[in-house]
Amino acid sequence: MLLRTEQLTKDYGQFRALDRLDLEVAPGEVFGLLGPNGSGKSTALRIILGFLKPTSGRAYIADYDCWHQSVEARKQVAYLPGELRLYENMSCRQLISFLGRLRGNPNLEGMERLAETFEIDISRPIANLSSGMKRKVALLQVLVPQTPLILLDEPTNTLDPTMRDELLGQILQAKRRGQAVLFSSHVLTEVEQVCDRVGILKHGKLVHLQEMSELRQGRRVHLWLEKETNTAIRSASPNTAVRTSSMREADRATGVLPDFPGAANVTRKDNALSFDYFGALPDLLAWLARQPVVDVKIEHQGLAPIYHRHHGNGV
Amino acid sequence: MTRVLFFKLLRDLRLTFIAVFALLFLFELLWSRVTYVISVKLFELPDFRGMFPLIEKAIFDGPGKIVQSLMGGDQIDIRRAIDMASIGFVHPVIQTILCIWAVGRASGAIAGEIDRGTMELLLAQPVPRNRILLAHFLVDLVTIPLLCLAMWLGSFTGLNLMGLVDNADPKMHVDPARFLPALLSIGFLVYSLSGITLWVSSLSRFRYQALGLAVFGTLLMFLVNLLGQLWEPIGVFRPLTVFYYFNAQPMILDPEWYSHVSVWLRLGVLAVLGTVGYGLALWTFTRRDIPAPL
Repeated sequence: MLLRTEQLTKDYGQFRALDRLDLEVAPGEVFGLLGPNGSGKSTALRIILGFLKPTSGRAYIADYDCWHQSVEARKQVAYLPGELRLYENMSCRQLISFLGRLRGNPNLEGMERLAETFEIDISRPIANLSSGMKRKVALLQVLVPQTPLILLDEPTNTLDPTMRDELLGQILQAKRRGQAVLFSSHVLTEVEQVCDRVGILKHGKLVHLQEMSELRQGRRVHLWLEKETNTAIRSASPNTAVRTSSMREADRATGVLPDFPGAANVTRKDNALSFDYFGALPDLLAWLARQPVVDVKIEHQGLAPIYHRHHGNGV
Repeated sequence: MTRVLFFKLLRDLRLTFIAVFALLFLFELLWSRVTYVISVKLFELPDFRGMFPLIEKAIFDGPGKIVQSLMGGDQIDIRRAIDMASIGFVHPVIQTILCIWAVGRASGAIAGEIDRGTMELLLAQPVPRNRILLAHFLVDLVTIPLLCLAMWLGSFTGLNLMGLVDNADPKMHVDPARFLPALLSIGFLVYSLSGITLWVSSLSRFRYQALGLAVFGTLLMFLVNLLGQLWEPIGVFRPLTVFYYFNAQPMILDPEWYSHVSVWLRLGVLAVLGTVGYGLALWTFTRRDIPAPL
């Protein structure tokens, strides 16, 4: 594993900002940390970077302890802070070159190429740039060194949609190069777009770990049935033995259920029926064709239901 | 890496440094003119020469003793050009400029970077924290002697322009080389203040908090040292201030300054204070959390 945390904990007096976090990120993996403000995302990143000393537990990057061997660990990392502050008395070129020289690798060629992609005039003083442009410059300094691990703390803040897409594209390119990316975000759609795995934090605890490939296999099906339909949903199979326990549970709750393999988490309110589907699409379509359906919506499963399960809809 | 940090710091400081360098140079240059006017021109007037003891008594009596203490005490004879010129190296204006330099620069070194949020940017690179402090130490090592040199150059230029260097009258003659040893004391004073302030800075997360604390501490030490010379009960606290160990004037006035152990002891205390300040800053900064900027 490129990044590994073991029971990582950070207390500020009585307040526990991070609670026994166990996390692993492999090379070439894009990992998203989700959670509202104060859930411990930035604290986790800051401990990994050696800015904060963990109260207990350890974090390792390429087997280097993030506190005791912080310099070796940071050689493997490029970081984009959430609260962006740059040296305002430098030009973009001077800044990237300065940071590159601190790494012993002023890769100016890569900088020019990326600056062109990001449409940054690198000769301009940073003090004269807009906040969005400054963010681009900061992204530049993250992407230029091509470190094994990239840490991004809410990277799309203040970026326009075009740049946001460009950034997500760059993350995928980094993944293809074998770089691992750990990024925190509030924006579920961008996490869904690029992440291989997602961890949801709540009050400093990792409350959910989700493989995105699993999520992408599933679909959420929403049906609107004819008004007069009561219990008349027709079974795909007369064999009720295929019903899962969760379906049986939901059955009790809603009364009427689609009854075929691969369906789960069924909810029904009046004539609106929703369920998750993990089976083959033709089977689903065949089943739908037999139902008294007025309207139907099939979408890929997203992170939203999982996220809201932990943090509520208000977040 | 240290070289990169060092040159970056120098680049950041260059304008302030040039301004402070110029101020010190100009002050000493002008002080040579003051020396010439008071020690030569005024005492050429027979009336003034006759009245001087009365004037001296009127000025330096009572509250005027503060002025006398600031000038170096009652052993200073302003009729001698070297005595008068030596005041220029301990003048409150000079001490203020040097203190502002030392305290202002060092207070921002750690707390300022954290406050601005640029410490994150720096420490996200594989930079050991001790290298950041080493770069600041090297900056002090380069800038402090240069600032001392600015004072000496100002004095040298001014005294030559005023004709005091070539003056045949032993009371009017000033040898600029006599000021060179004083630069040691001045340099170590700045170094000690810089080291102590750096420690304060390494404890803080806000530049103005560190600056406020350091300014308060420096002012308090200055006042305790000054008032301690006038009022005995406070005098016992003088050794607790860095200014007590600032010994530039006797090093100018006594050609055999190096033969006194107390001079070396005082220099040593200033050097140790600065080094201990740096050491504590290193100990604190390498162990502390770097909070997110607000």
